[in-house]
Amino acid sequence: MTAVSSWPEALARLKAEVPDAITGESARPGVLAVLAVPAPSIRRLATWLRDEGTFSHCSLVLGIDWIDHMEVVYHLWSDALKGYLELSVTLPAEDPHVDSLGGVWGGAIWHERETWDLLGIRFDGHPDPRRLLMPEGYKFHPLRKSFELREPEELEVKSRHV
Amino acid sequence: MTDTTASTHSAGTTVVTHLHKGDSPAPEVPTEQILAVSAKEFIPLWKENLQGLVNKGMDTLTQPLFNWAGRNSLFPLHLGLACCAIEFAAGFGARWDAERFGVVPRSSPRQCDLLIINGTVTWKFSHKLITLWEQMPEPKWAIAMGNCATGGGPFRTAYSVVPGVDKLFPIDVYIAGCPPRPEAMLDGILRLERLIRERHG
Ligand code: SF4
Repeated sequence: MTAVSSWPEALARLKAEVPDAITGESARPGVLAVLAVPAPSIRRLATWLRDEGTFSHCSLVLGIDWIDHMEVVYHLWSDALKGYLELSVTLPAEDPHVDSLGGVWGGAIWHERETWDLLGIRFDGHPDPRRLLMPEGYKFHPLRKSFELREPEELEVKSRHV
Repeated sequence: MTDTTASTHSAGTTVVTHLHKGDSPAPEVPTEQILAVSAKEFIPLWKENLQGLVNKGMDTLTQPLFNWAGRNSLFPLHLGLACCAIEFAAGFGARWDAERFGVVPRSSPRQCDLLIINGTVTWKFSHKLITLWEQMPEPKWAIAMGNCATGGGPFRTAYSVVPGVDKLFPIDVYIAGCPPRPEAMLDGILRLERLIRERHG
């Protein structure tokens, strides 16, 4: 099978070869497309995009707290198509979790650790599920909208083995 | 007629005493035994009275010398945490030249007696900073340089920043400013020198 050479061709093949992997498609300046992806099919879609869709580089994973729900956004770069593709996964506000893409793009590992650390979105099957920026043992996910300013005594992590 | 009994000395060491009865001549005690008894009696005497006196005397004689040597060669740890570290570095450059006060940054905490905390300390780094502080040999001093180290600075209410490094270990001199100029850092070091002289001189 030859590699895709344009985005419309990639999208057509994507719809044919990975059915039900995307639920919506919209445009935004600066990216090839924004695809809405249901959480269960993200790893299947990502593997296809890497192997067949020439998206070799995951440049960004971030989380957004919309208060009533959570969103995870992935930015993928393709050298062949010379453009970014944006994937967006909507998650419930209660116990948000999604499959980790650390096994698909190694570069996603740190981004997912950061998203877990600051927003509390779990990435199932993550190869290294530790916090990134806050010390191990920290009790909060401080970029959540529900996080309030606290006294330093509450924030301090007493254990020295971190 | 001689019998040897052992009695327990007040300090817990056993002293051998020789008792002789009647008009039999005083027994011959081997010289080695006399020496051994003397040493055994001398050790508690040394520990209880003389050692402290001698140490105190030595301290009185050498303390001013060590104090003078120590306060005039404060070696800070070469540690840069945030923007204040730029001023710290400038202070050791040609223009301000902190080395003329005997202040030489060292790369290992084992060789340092001064910790200048020049920047924002996060909770994540606080454990490492305490380890560095504990690795430094006594006597040691600490300077909090800049508003961040003094009280959290502009990040005082942040979720990740220690609001004042004196939450972690005692600080001798605080230098205000965001950032303090190298002159302020030099002034802080000179104040620390004065403090060492007054406190321990
Ligand atoms: S006190 Fe100001 S200059 Fe110094 S580390 Fe904090 S923010 Fe930077």
